[in-house]
Amino acid sequence: MIRFLVLMMIAGSANAQFRLPSFDINKAIDTVKNVNKAVREPDESEEIALGQDVAARLLGAAPLAADARLQQYVNRVGRWLALQTERPDLPWKFGVMEAPQVNAFAVPGGTVFVTRGLVQKMQSEAELAGVLSHEIVHVLKKHHLKAIQKGAMTQLSADAAGAALSSRGGNSEVRNKLISFGTEMYARGLDKSDELEADRLGVVVAARGGYDAYGLPAVLQTLQAMNAADSALALMFKTHPAPAERLDALGRMQSLLDAYSAQPQLRERFAAETKH
Amino acid sequence: MRFLSLLLLIPTLVWAEPATVVRATELKREPATDAATVAQLAENATVDALERQGGWTRVKAGANEGWVKMLALRYGGSAKSGDSGLQQAFNVARSGSSGTQVTTGVRGLDETQLANARPNPAELAKLNGFAADRGGASAFASQGKLMPAAVAYPE
Repeated sequence: MIRFLVLMMIAGSANAQFRLPSFDINKAIDTVKNVNKAVREPDESEEIALGQDVAARLLGAAPLAADARLQQYVNRVGRWLALQTERPDLPWKFGVMEAPQVNAFAVPGGTVFVTRGLVQKMQSEAELAGVLSHEIVHVLKKHHLKAIQKGAMTQLSADAAGAALSSRGGNSEVRNKLISFGTEMYARGLDKSDELEADRLGVVVAARGGYDAYGLPAVLQTLQAMNAADSALALMFKTHPAPAERLDALGRMQSLLDAYSAQPQLRERFAAETKH
Repeated sequence: MRFLSLLLLIPTLVWAEPATVVRATELKREPATDAATVAQLAENATVDALERQGGWTRVKAGANEGWVKMLALRYGGSAKSGDSGLQQAFNVARSGSSGTQVTTGVRGLDETQLANARPNPAELAKLNGFAADRGGASAFASQGKLMPAAVAYPE
């Protein structure tokens, strides 16, 4: 009886939402099933497949820097950091994009991009590690995956969103719509709380990797010192809290930062691997 | 004469970055909390930042020189209201020969390009080909004398 009542209630709300002409118990059950399908979080293999599709799009906007040594370098640093986390065995991939803009992106399933423009602003491997760790946390916490999922459910019907999220690759129209949405999300940005969480946990991941924990704060200070009107910063500043606000938030972690500030910065190795 | 004044200018621009102290701070003789205090810096005092070491930055504050906590410094921020010319010159000098100081018409990764991007499977294949395995990443960390540390996430 209670079960029937619950179903009646769900059906009622579904009825209002989808403007079903009249109550139809079978249709109501279908709707409930579809909502469940869309609400279900993609499993790990679906997350990885979605990430590959989004990564291919991002690479369509800006290709990899044509520098194999640089690409291998960021992969070694990034994979080492990822090994210190709760998702060490994702198919982690790191890439430097050939773009003058200062930015970095985390893609669901373990892909991380950093632009050449940002790498050129860095002075040490600890700074690179700080940025990669911030992005790694976005992947660990599935920040983008959840945002894509949420967006898909408002953009597409529940039925279509569920199908698009769970299909692995493919070229269906609805899948393409989902991937476009997922790619454009990098121009809209995440919630501020996600960014601040990635900063907080990111410095921990870098410290676990044995790096000077001040790498990320140092990059944020460099960004803060740049001209805020510089168009190379426009997208990054639009999609992230201001560097000063992020530094203020990290100030609350000063004792942890200090405890791991004497770990290596690896300035020379960074210079050799990025400026050859 | 012109050459001489240029010579005098360069070290200041390249090696010192104007910064503001966000709270009253002690200027220390060494980069350590228990080091002797050289001077007291008031909130919003302006300094020139010279170099960073761990959580400390060496600064010049008037006639004094010493170390302050890195996170007590903010760059550009409060000076930005009256900036433009000087700030621009400073930024250009700062980025040096990197060639990334672009102020208009940047090409590459912006909103429009993200919106219009088409998949690039060839670049994706390259990306996948550069991935590092556990062993390779760990060996590279050892070469850099990186020692993994057990650090808990904050609450």
